[in-house]
Amino acid sequence: MKQLPVGLYQPGSSVIHRLDGSAKLLCLFILLAGVVHTASLPGYGIWAAFTVCLIRLAHIPPGTAFGSAARLKWFFGVILLMNLCFYGPEHPWMRWWIFCPSYEGLIQGIHVVARVFLLLVLSNVLMVSTAPLAMTDAMERLLSPLRLIGVPTDLAAMILSVAVQFIPTFFEETDNIRKAQTARGARFDSPKLWEKAKAVLPLLVPVFLAAFQRADELSLAMEARGYRTDRRVWKKKYPPYQAADWLALLLCAALAAAFIII
Amino acid sequence: MPIELREVSYTYAPGTPYAAQALKKISLIVRDGEFVGIMGRTGCGKSTLIQLAAGLLTPSAGQVFLDGEDINERHFDRNRLRQKVGVVFQFPEIQLFETTVEKDTAFGLKYLDWSGEKKQAAVRRALEWMGFDFEAVRNRSPFGFSGGEKRRLAIAGVLAVMPKFLILDEPTAGLDPLSREAFLELLRKLHQGGMTVLMISHDADALAEYAGRIVILKEGMLFRDGPAAEVFSDQEGLKENGISAGQVREMTERLRRRGWEIPCGTIRYGQLLEEIAGRWPR
Repeated sequence: MKQLPVGLYQPGSSVIHRLDGSAKLLCLFILLAGVVHTASLPGYGIWAAFTVCLIRLAHIPPGTAFGSAARLKWFFGVILLMNLCFYGPEHPWMRWWIFCPSYEGLIQGIHVVARVFLLLVLSNVLMVSTAPLAMTDAMERLLSPLRLIGVPTDLAAMILSVAVQFIPTFFEETDNIRKAQTARGARFDSPKLWEKAKAVLPLLVPVFLAAFQRADELSLAMEARGYRTDRRVWKKKYPPYQAADWLALLLCAALAAAFIII
Repeated sequence: MPIELREVSYTYAPGTPYAAQALKKISLIVRDGEFVGIMGRTGCGKSTLIQLAAGLLTPSAGQVFLDGEDINERHFDRNRLRQKVGVVFQFPEIQLFETTVEKDTAFGLKYLDWSGEKKQAAVRRALEWMGFDFEAVRNRSPFGFSGGEKRRLAIAGVLAVMPKFLILDEPTAGLDPLSREAFLELLRKLHQGGMTVLMISHDADALAEYAGRIVILKEGMLFRDGPAAEVFSDQEGLKENGISAGQVREMTERLRRRGWEIPCGTIRYGQLLEEIAGRWPR
């Protein structure tokens, strides 16, 4: 793997890293609600400043923090252009064929881009500062009220956490098989589309077989250690929120509420 | 056609918190017709080394030459590299994917401009080398074989292109003793037929038996490189670094400590038997 995947957890010990996973996830939802309700350019300025503070607090290198959003630069460009050209046909600067660029369009475009950009960067901060297992724990915790109406949230969480745990293994395995087939003379870089599609087969078949085999082995191992889905007696105890968690939630809520009310 | 690594370094995931330097300025030349054994503890960079030599990874620094040509140059013909250098990975059985044994074994031949008969002859020969009856297995699914058989099928797929240079990453791990023996004998035969072999193994006895030269890596650097007898005679030095010189060498050492005059370079089973038996009159 030459380039690390976007949003890969980067271990650290910053304040943000140490927050409880579910508190962070809640904060993210609250912040996103706030961002979506923002309707002025200075508002986005405040959000940007807040986001930069978060990134500094979490000690995330700027390249990592903005990387995911930066990869979408063409998408942003197109969105901006389309809004600029098609949004406000009332008072356009000029009319030409189907295009009618206007000031309103430009502003609208900037709003949309700013929103999506902030959504991406904020979720990226969460992903990068939270270990995958802490993340699945957080989801389980947030979903746990559903247990009252009979939804097996612990099963869902188990499935999720197993899936997350095996992502690196899966990547590694794919990489190994790709190398083995390359060494045998497979070509994955043919310019012809049909050739390219056919070249995937030597990769796909072994990857799937290996995944099924692994799933089979894992389920056996879990059963051997007494895991059963029909008799679940344990109830997970979640650690209580610390002062920092409450503080973070309060701060985010206040910020978002301010934007929603205004 | 020698493979030469010149001051090669490799770092995984550079520029991230996960960065790990696997190799540090390694220089190594593998000449025609050599049988080189590579040893080292887990994580010492053995697998990275062979992947660099096979052109499957691009070095972070340094160069890799095949026949004096830099394989990472833009103009280098990669397909020639693929045909000349065969790689048997750890657990090669995972690379099987075709519907029949014949098709799977012939996969590597697809892009070669050989005639149909020549390709089929190559497939037949490779399967027969690995101990299969070509006519009996050619139309069977490769997934209907046992684990050990699948591994032999996968190796046949690598040998079908007749590589001049064969790289193996622990090919005998998990094989039963008889298959292991048979496989090593086949390697010896291929080697005697002119193939250059580069094999990673933890099995010092097998390497002592078959490899002429031993390369040991430690923490991404060359730790030992020389003729097998010479490298294994320093049993103490290897042991301190967590590497076994093999049971035969261990026996030699015990006997020497008891006052037997057996040379340190006695590393093969046959040699040792000869040394012991030679002490008594017929």
